[in-house]
Amino acid sequence: MAIRLCRLGLIDYRTVRDLQLRLVGDLLAGQRGDTVLVTEHPAVFTLGRRGRRDHLLVSEVFLAERGIEVIHIERGGDITYHGPGQLVIYPVLDLRRLRRSVTEHVSMLEELMLRLAADCGVTARRDGRGRGIWCGGAKLGSVGIAVRHGVAYHGLALNVDPSLVPFTWINPCGLSGVRMTSLARECGRDIAIAAVTRTLPQHLQDLFGQPVESIDCDRLPWREAD
Amino acid sequence: MKDLSELDFPETVRYTEDHEWAAVDGETVRIGVSDYAQDQLGDIVYVEMPEIGDIFEKGDEFGTLESVKAVSEIYMPVGGEVVAVNEALVDTPELINQDPYGAWIVEIRVTDVGEYDELMSAEDYLEMLRG
Repeated sequence: MAIRLCRLGLIDYRTVRDLQLRLVGDLLAGQRGDTVLVTEHPAVFTLGRRGRRDHLLVSEVFLAERGIEVIHIERGGDITYHGPGQLVIYPVLDLRRLRRSVTEHVSMLEELMLRLAADCGVTARRDGRGRGIWCGGAKLGSVGIAVRHGVAYHGLALNVDPSLVPFTWINPCGLSGVRMTSLARECGRDIAIAAVTRTLPQHLQDLFGQPVESIDCDRLPWREAD
Repeated sequence: MKDLSELDFPETVRYTEDHEWAAVDGETVRIGVSDYAQDQLGDIVYVEMPEIGDIFEKGDEFGTLESVKAVSEIYMPVGGEVVAVNEALVDTPELINQDPYGAWIVEIRVTDVGEYDELMSAEDYLEMLRG
């Protein structure tokens, strides 16, 4: 069965999270197959299941003045930032059908980021300080997933060319003293998300061993079924 | 990830499709996750448990296991009221990796004993995993 790939563009965090939950529900009900969402979010901070607000280094008033929300969600990991210029990929996949363990899936998300970075000429690597991918001493991409009845959702965030300033307002992933970087910074030039995702279908096909079919966004369950 | 032949599936407990186990202990049932589940999850770093007195139906989510960057839901094999939670898991969640059948997560007073009898035997569970 093909994995369906859908490019959403820039959409707010809550809308895509609700969409993911419906995709998980449909998959568990046998009404839909695996779907990979590709998106970018307006500026937002998210806290993982047991993420702590003390890793947020600025006041909520400071964030409110900038129209930035802090949202508590069910994925693993601590606090992170999403914003324009960051590539976010949510593979909503039946790990049992794919015969992948949770740890293998997390490694696969890192591998996907390593390959996308390599396509831009950036050599990144895994690091003992935690999951995600790193360049020198700086973090380039993060992972965080949730699993419901064997279906994985949430996913990865790769810094293509976002503002790195909001990361200085937090201890990213709950690690103090972590510097963040981006593909644009490592390359010393502007990089568009569209350029980075050109090779995405092929990488997904190689890593998940399934054909990949691109679909239109209007085929997704944006609203609760009546 | 280990081969099934390297994993342990004792016949003294019963299993669910979501990889929990349940074991009768006098008038209560203890619940945990199988050796297969802990192997799939990798190193467990946090266990989210319910409160004593919470009441669940069979199949309800009653907590989560967090392995590195992944939060997985866990479900009730049988319905009932929580009478104890394994406090040792608060500081040493890795007990689930080390001894999945010793590291029970919750103990419940069962509503309907019939639900326990419907759970899979070790043999049935292994057959499902081989599926």
